[in-house]
Amino acid sequence: MNANKIYPWYFSSGAIVLYLLFIVAPALLGIYYSFTDWNSYSSEKNFIGLEHFRTILAGDPTYLLFIKNTVLFTLVTSIAKTVLGLFLALLLVSGVKAANLHRMIIFSPQVLSFLIVGLVFKSLLDPNNGFVNVTLRSLGLDVLAQNWLGSLTWAMPSIMAVDTWKGMGYIMVLFIAGLLAIPRDYYEAASIDGAGFGQKLFRITIPMLMPTITIATVLNITYGLRVFDAVYVLTNGGPGNATDVINTAVYSSFAKGYWGLGSALSTILFVIMAIISFFIIRLMNRKVEY
Amino acid sequence: MMRKRFLFSLASVLLLSTLLLAGCNSGKSMEGSGKVTLTFGTSQSGIPRTGIMQTMAKEYEQETGVKIDFQVVPDAQWRDLIKVKLASGEAPDIFNVDVDPLSMPANVRPEENAIDLTNEEFTGRMSEEILPTVSHNDKVYGVSFAPTKIWYVYYNKRIFQELGIEPPTSYAEFKAISQKIKDKDIIPFYQAPASGWYQVLPLFETGPNYEQTTAGTYEKLNNNEMKVADMTQLKTVIEQLKEFADLGYFGKDFLSNTVEAGIEAFGQEKAAMLLRVPGTEKEVSEAYPEMQDNMGFFVMPWGDNQTIGVNPGGSAAMFGNKNSKHPEEVLKFFRWITEHDHLQRVFDEGEGNLTICWPEIEPKLTQDYIDYEKNHEKGTVMQAAVKYIDPQWMDIGKDLSGMFAGAMTPDQILQNIDKRRAEQAKVLKDEKWQ
Repeated sequence: MNANKIYPWYFSSGAIVLYLLFIVAPALLGIYYSFTDWNSYSSEKNFIGLEHFRTILAGDPTYLLFIKNTVLFTLVTSIAKTVLGLFLALLLVSGVKAANLHRMIIFSPQVLSFLIVGLVFKSLLDPNNGFVNVTLRSLGLDVLAQNWLGSLTWAMPSIMAVDTWKGMGYIMVLFIAGLLAIPRDYYEAASIDGAGFGQKLFRITIPMLMPTITIATVLNITYGLRVFDAVYVLTNGGPGNATDVINTAVYSSFAKGYWGLGSALSTILFVIMAIISFFIIRLMNRKVEY
Repeated sequence: MMRKRFLFSLASVLLLSTLLLAGCNSGKSMEGSGKVTLTFGTSQSGIPRTGIMQTMAKEYEQETGVKIDFQVVPDAQWRDLIKVKLASGEAPDIFNVDVDPLSMPANVRPEENAIDLTNEEFTGRMSEEILPTVSHNDKVYGVSFAPTKIWYVYYNKRIFQELGIEPPTSYAEFKAISQKIKDKDIIPFYQAPASGWYQVLPLFETGPNYEQTTAGTYEKLNNNEMKVADMTQLKTVIEQLKEFADLGYFGKDFLSNTVEAGIEAFGQEKAAMLLRVPGTEKEVSEAYPEMQDNMGFFVMPWGDNQTIGVNPGGSAAMFGNKNSKHPEEVLKFFRWITEHDHLQRVFDEGEGNLTICWPEIEPKLTQDYIDYEKNHEKGTVMQAAVKYIDPQWMDIGKDLSGMFAGAMTPDQILQNIDKRRAEQAKVLKDEKWQ
């Protein structure tokens, strides 16, 4: 082996070892444990094949509800964050006053821990003394006041709204970077040809933003599928199991000491994420021709 | 040469990683000064909220140089967290676990995780009622201060008097007085589903009533000869809770209520009734002096229950971590805290319990309690006598919240309880479920 071939390995060997040790090995161990009955009540680990997967996918409707909730949460928040992020980015690059200040304010929730955001919103959404209901009642809109986090109808939409509020600033920043990279010439040429705002948006902006949209979508979807903190802090999966998602079920399984089952749930989540990400990247990375 | 260097670098990285991993786990309870620090993990309600344990620990540090570092975790998380910590070898030197004779062995796995306290002098002084809850295979592993626990419904005497109502002795009476209270724009009964566990109490604290009506229920459940779903009385209690919620007797939007806020609601007379343990009068009247001598109590009347449910365990006990680096210091602390004068302080300066599980400490039960107990039968609560109920307490709490919100029916709740019992029995290889 000549030096040119050895050098890359030589310099990356440390990172490779750490990657194998801390990322690959635990992931493989997790997959292995999902085929065992490993639990906190015994030191034995017996191989039980696909039993956990059968329980999750065929034996217990509750787990299907968790999968459904996760997919629903992912779809709604991904679309909402992408649309709102794009809208805000377009607004801020269009010459709005104090754009930098607005950008900072809209981005700021992103740097906060969801623990803090969750506690703040729990207080704001409190059905009795929360700011939202108090304001609605003071405006005479009592009929709109809800038990936001405690009702079957409103709990999941409330979590989605809070998560969208927290995450859209980050997506907006991605879009701003993408928008600023589009050469002005295209718009000038389109203006000369008499193109309106809509035509410019759909014929120039969005096609040119496709790489950014791809990144934003993959980020939103992967975040959505592995959501945990938003649900845990705001509703802890309640009322009942109405807002439970795969990761709260993973947490709950591990917490109860059913580690094999928890590993199986994580493995299913990993497979879903891998498949969806693969197809999205394939779909959205098609060559754009102008 | 190049290959040798490459292999050398690889070996260095591996060695560094190993040292890094080893370093993560070393000397965590030893301070730089050489002083020993014992970590003490507990749930919020595992130690008195007055902070007396922390105060005494500081005095202990001054006396012995051994520091006790308290790690207090919210109740809803601790029950699960300690299992993971024990399994991963990361458990504190001393840890609190809610104990009952049925689930303690599975939750703590004492032979592997807890220091054997059988031959300690202080174990002989603990109440005989509490010993089975902290023992396994004839060995004592835990130290508790908690008394046998009884939950009563506390009521506001002034509100009752003004409305001309009496403590109820049946569910029908309970409903009738609740309606009268609600008509006065006062919340009849404070409920706290947001805490996760509180709403579950009526289901199983009234267990002696099920056992009295159908003798042998507990045994049949433990032998897997009947299902929880077959317990019509339990189903009735759940239906009555749902009815209370639907009639607005828990208040509007009560799903966000917490246990901690209950004292405030009761003390400020926003709620007329509250489910609590003896000693509540002291806690309430300290915060709201106008409530002094204004509180009465009665046994919870769901399912027409008139029997006092007694839980011999159910509260926290301290365990010494068998894998601690400082087992001798842990034992010394246990010996110190269980000296007579220190027990007396824990009792006196705690949060108001009227008894403690150490017979040498004089109880403070008032004549009211003594008389009430004389006039009512007592029995063991279901979670302390029936297997696989207590470990799923928080899950049942979630199901009940779901029922209050309209997502589940009482039948589904009962079926879920059976399903989770079967799951746990399977994990524990319980022969009755094979």
